[in-house]
Amino acid sequence: MTVSSSSSPTGAEAVSVGPATSVIAQWQRLSPLAILYFTASNIRKLVSFAVFMIPAVAVGLNITRIAEAQWFWPVALCIALAMAGSGIANHLFFHFRISARHLDIREGVLQRRHINLPFWRIQSVKIEQPVYFRLTRFVVVILDTAGSSNEEAKLVAVPRDYAETLKQQILFERQQHLKGQAGETVTIDHGNGAPEICETVLNTRSIKDLVIHGVTNNRVWILLGALAPFFDEISDFLYFWLDSLGIDLEALINQGVQSWWQLWLYGMSLLLLVMTFVALLSVIGSLLTYYGYTLSKQHDRYIRRSGLLSTEEVSLKLSRLQMVAARQDWLDRLLQRANLFFEQNLTGTDPNQELMAANKLVVPSVTNSEVRQLVGDALPGNRMYDADYLPVNKRFILHQYLVWLMPLSAGMICTSIWIGLWQGLALSVAVALIASLLVQFRYRRWGVAWDNRYVYVRSGIVGIDRRCFEFFKVQQVKIHQSYWMKVRKLATVKLVLASGSVTIPYLPAGIACELADLTLYHVEKSRRSWM
Amino acid sequence: MQDSVFSNATVSVDSLPSVASLPMQAVSPRYRWVNIALEIGLYAMLIVLVSLIRWQPWWRLPESFVWAYPYMLVCLAIMCIGFAVYHFYADPLVRFALRERDLVLQRGLIFTKQLCQPILRIQHIELKRGPIDRLAGMTRLQVFSAGGAGHTFEIPGLPDGQARKLRQFILEHKDQGAQTGQL
Repeated sequence: MTVSSSSSPTGAEAVSVGPATSVIAQWQRLSPLAILYFTASNIRKLVSFAVFMIPAVAVGLNITRIAEAQWFWPVALCIALAMAGSGIANHLFFHFRISARHLDIREGVLQRRHINLPFWRIQSVKIEQPVYFRLTRFVVVILDTAGSSNEEAKLVAVPRDYAETLKQQILFERQQHLKGQAGETVTIDHGNGAPEICETVLNTRSIKDLVIHGVTNNRVWILLGALAPFFDEISDFLYFWLDSLGIDLEALINQGVQSWWQLWLYGMSLLLLVMTFVALLSVIGSLLTYYGYTLSKQHDRYIRRSGLLSTEEVSLKLSRLQMVAARQDWLDRLLQRANLFFEQNLTGTDPNQELMAANKLVVPSVTNSEVRQLVGDALPGNRMYDADYLPVNKRFILHQYLVWLMPLSAGMICTSIWIGLWQGLALSVAVALIASLLVQFRYRRWGVAWDNRYVYVRSGIVGIDRRCFEFFKVQQVKIHQSYWMKVRKLATVKLVLASGSVTIPYLPAGIACELADLTLYHVEKSRRSWM
Repeated sequence: MQDSVFSNATVSVDSLPSVASLPMQAVSPRYRWVNIALEIGLYAMLIVLVSLIRWQPWWRLPESFVWAYPYMLVCLAIMCIGFAVYHFYADPLVRFALRERDLVLQRGLIFTKQLCQPILRIQHIELKRGPIDRLAGMTRLQVFSAGGAGHTFEIPGLPDGQARKLRQFILEHKDQGAQTGQL
């Protein structure tokens, strides 16, 4: 079966699903609305590039007074027009066709690119609706193949119905292909060829949950990072703004005028104000990302839909799930919440995307009982919360002390004494004591357990991170030992998965070897695919 | 994960083959000498470079450089000897084993590392030979899995013939066929 070549993504005709055909379909264009998307993405690329150039440009403008040159504004206007025109060029040079279970795309103005994607190779299908498509029925379909970011294909500005049909078709072809590979008989009868849609909602997040998520997971530093080049301007602006309100900062800070407790009060008020502002921004970020959050299950696939301005859909086939991680920092622990991550293959993805957790299917700030329920659904029979975790050896603490804590503390203390800064000395001692306490906490959190199917790893400092994965998902096993660990019969085990590695430090050498042997046994005996 | 029947059979750990007691095979003995020669060559070049700067007649050097010159020579010589001695003892400890279903590599003098790469999880294999490797008749075997570039399994200093045989063995392995089929 294939999506008929006669179907039009411009929305003029309905999508029809017909029998397989070897006829090569005609090349098609996208809807003119795609120009909006291309222009926006070109501007985004330029801005992300220009962020790094801002200091250089600012200095350049100041030194050379280039902005006063006669040609400056016409050139700037030409650049702006070229940006707008680039979207049109991208649209004109973008052609695609869908035929015989393949998607062909020809795109690019200067650098031409031809992508041929057999449906069965497509790993995930995402449907997104950017904010400027919100009032229309158009969406963006993102097709992702086996890991390489270069092989990602996008169909921009296609009607939602078309996108949904295409998605179902791709998933169906993929399923057929896998069944064919496994030598199983395909028993699903779809009548008209369209796959069945049977979706169960597993979890939803209310506004209250998202507010909690915003408070407990501060992402403001990302925003602060982006604002870094403008710090000077912002501080000047704030100074003048306060001045216009009649608040004289210099007078406030002058200890001759104010007593110490007043200064302290000002400081605390300012800190509270900043923290409230930061928490507010974080909550807004959380609402923007996760508004209307639903986690659904469709056959063997998890689908996450969320987003206030642009609705994002992330889909994960359960067989591609590498690891489940329930992460709980100290604030989450206080509120009895956790962030649940369904982690999939990270190979070939841009590490910067980590911030956006695009490849991670996240369930934000779920309660402990919901975590158990969701983990139980994804990894049936697991004992992530009930396993008897084996602690790591106490020499882990000694190692942490000797390798970084003591040298660092000694350095700070000696420097403070050397320059006679006694407040610095007190601060260094306090930091060293707190750090040594945190090392103790970290030691207490480390633990590993396994049964005949799953490995469980617990870690954290004040909060607790619990990770669980099936033995056969492991890609590589590593055992590390220093000379001193060998003498004490200790070893560190690193289990490498497609979603990242999991390290369990300072295990008794016998246990470490047992875990390594058992992992290799499960991988090699089961011969199951990790995907 | 999607199994309709959930199984949880007990596995006797004692009966499993252990990675801890494997007979390992050394890499080419030339590997050690090539590394020692490279270290000596590199530091000799640095010493010559520093000396050329020190004794050139064209421009006047800062006093601090002239003062530091003998110390720099001593430091470079100590580092050269240190690294050469390290290679002398550490390189023979690079050992590997090929089992029916996995590759095992062991390396390290003070910090030892044992890596086990199941053949079933190998994505692709590369044989790498730089100009010095070619001169010495050695090859590096690189094995890539979905664990990412940071976890590339590499056996250095293999004799050419042995590396090609290993590659062939892995390519013809039934687990590789199974994986390709599933993908």
